[in-house]
Amino acid sequence: MSATDISPSRADGAAGRAWSVVRMHVANPVPTLVFPWVITLAIFGINVAIWSMVVSAAGGVENLEADAFQYNGGISWIVVFMMITAVQAMNQAFRFALGFSVTRHDFFIGSASYFVLLSLVYSAGLTVIAGVERATDGWGLRAAFFAPWGLVDQPLGTVGLVYLAALLLAFFLGAAVASVWVRWKTYGLYSFFLGVAVVVVGGLWVVTTTNSWADLWSFLTSTSPAALAGWTAPVTVLCGVIGYLFMRRATPRA
Amino acid sequence: MTAIVEVEGVSKRFGKVRAVDDATFSLEGGGIHGLLGRNGAGKTTMMQLLTGQEFATSGHVRIFGETPVENAPALRRVCFIKESQVYPDAFKGKHVLRAAPWFFDRWDAAFAERLVRIFDAPLDRPMKKMSRGQRSAIGVIVGLASRAELTFLDEPYAGLDAVARQRFYDLLLEDYTSHPRTVVLSTHLIDEAANLLQRVLVIDDGRIVIDADADELRATATTLVGRAPDVEAFAVGREVLDRTNLGGIASVTVAGLSDDDRRAAASAGLEASPVSLQGLVVSRTGRADREEQNA
Repeated sequence: MSATDISPSRADGAAGRAWSVVRMHVANPVPTLVFPWVITLAIFGINVAIWSMVVSAAGGVENLEADAFQYNGGISWIVVFMMITAVQAMNQAFRFALGFSVTRHDFFIGSASYFVLLSLVYSAGLTVIAGVERATDGWGLRAAFFAPWGLVDQPLGTVGLVYLAALLLAFFLGAAVASVWVRWKTYGLYSFFLGVAVVVVGGLWVVTTTNSWADLWSFLTSTSPAALAGWTAPVTVLCGVIGYLFMRRATPRA
Repeated sequence: MTAIVEVEGVSKRFGKVRAVDDATFSLEGGGIHGLLGRNGAGKTTMMQLLTGQEFATSGHVRIFGETPVENAPALRRVCFIKESQVYPDAFKGKHVLRAAPWFFDRWDAAFAERLVRIFDAPLDRPMKKMSRGQRSAIGVIVGLASRAELTFLDEPYAGLDAVARQRFYDLLLEDYTSHPRTVVLSTHLIDEAANLLQRVLVIDDGRIVIDADADELRATATTLVGRAPDVEAFAVGREVLDRTNLGGIASVTVAGLSDDDRRAAASAGLEASPVSLQGLVVSRTGRADREEQNA
């Protein structure tokens, strides 16, 4: 906050204006600060019920293989959810914010701050629960829900880093794709997905013709989760820059 | 007084459509002004250009002497309420009003609460489930309680009933009197709002066709009613804006009558009445021959 702030409700500086946009995104905190935790707990609860049923049928945890409950992807829903949150923010919240005399610059900086803050909140929260999961021997069931498969044997710091990287990537990828829609609508998305298809197929072509599949797999399997999380950073930053540049000239047309 | 709004040779094209076509006008600070015109004439586009939401294809737009585009200090002094305002799906009425003070420095929370009671706004209802009138009520509350130095109200009361609209006019005038500012109101309910307006801008097919003081504008034309032969005789050689015949009775709207003309009309047995603002706007923008010219 800048020193020129007169009262908490006034936001004169650039930082203050961005903060107003952050607050706007959580003017109704339920969809992004409450709802995801409730759904996560519900998914977790259903998993616990299934595990307990299996354990009961097996006559005890010790009768099951040690990693029986460790290949779970339930938590990944939250990454998808956050991507949708970013799309909605760029679309609806953008048009709302411009109607409230916010500049595109302030809107994007504020929204990006909001994405970073949400990523921090959720990666920290999920990591803490993953710590509890480990401390309780997988909820007494040798289960891994909050730090499943690839993360089972990783330190908690890495678990947090992977969550943070995944959430940031989801937010900014969602924002970048949505910015194409907001700026160029239907034809923009056609062109975008055509471009993505060309790049993906071209990439596959290059990997195949250079006989690099083995190298690619060995890179993916030999690189630690922490390093893979680090590799998302340039992509995330690129998406952020693209989103900003596209939104700078976007208009709130219906 | 200095100009708070300046528009110089501004055009906005969407593909081949000229939504705004070489518009030039300025508004001085203070007052309630009307931006009138038919649906699709370019009213909303003009307001979007004035608030930096759209980019002009050519020409210069200035508010407070500066461009509105990406100009946070200037835009913070502006409130733009439009019928097509989009709200986030998760927003209920109360969330809109909760967020408003973060963006409008002169927001008056007590006034907003009073307006909520007056318009009976359903604050606990999601914006997207509100009726058109209820959404308009929320917009009107924001538009008035923000007390922005430069307030644009684009069809602010769509879907509101006559009683609510009258309350809006009364409140606008009341609050304007106690907190003077510049209000630009676009509406197609011209006669309802006519008494509020100081300056009238009429936009037609993207062009500014009338830019005049409301009182002067009303004085520019007179409607004369009488027996058809008398009316026709009087109208000869004058600029007739509108003409209707009903049986033996005729009425003409003629431009620029002098006092002598009025006396002559009275002695010819014609009854003179001032033209309504709506009548004038219709005669300037709604004539069939214009449409044929454009076809």
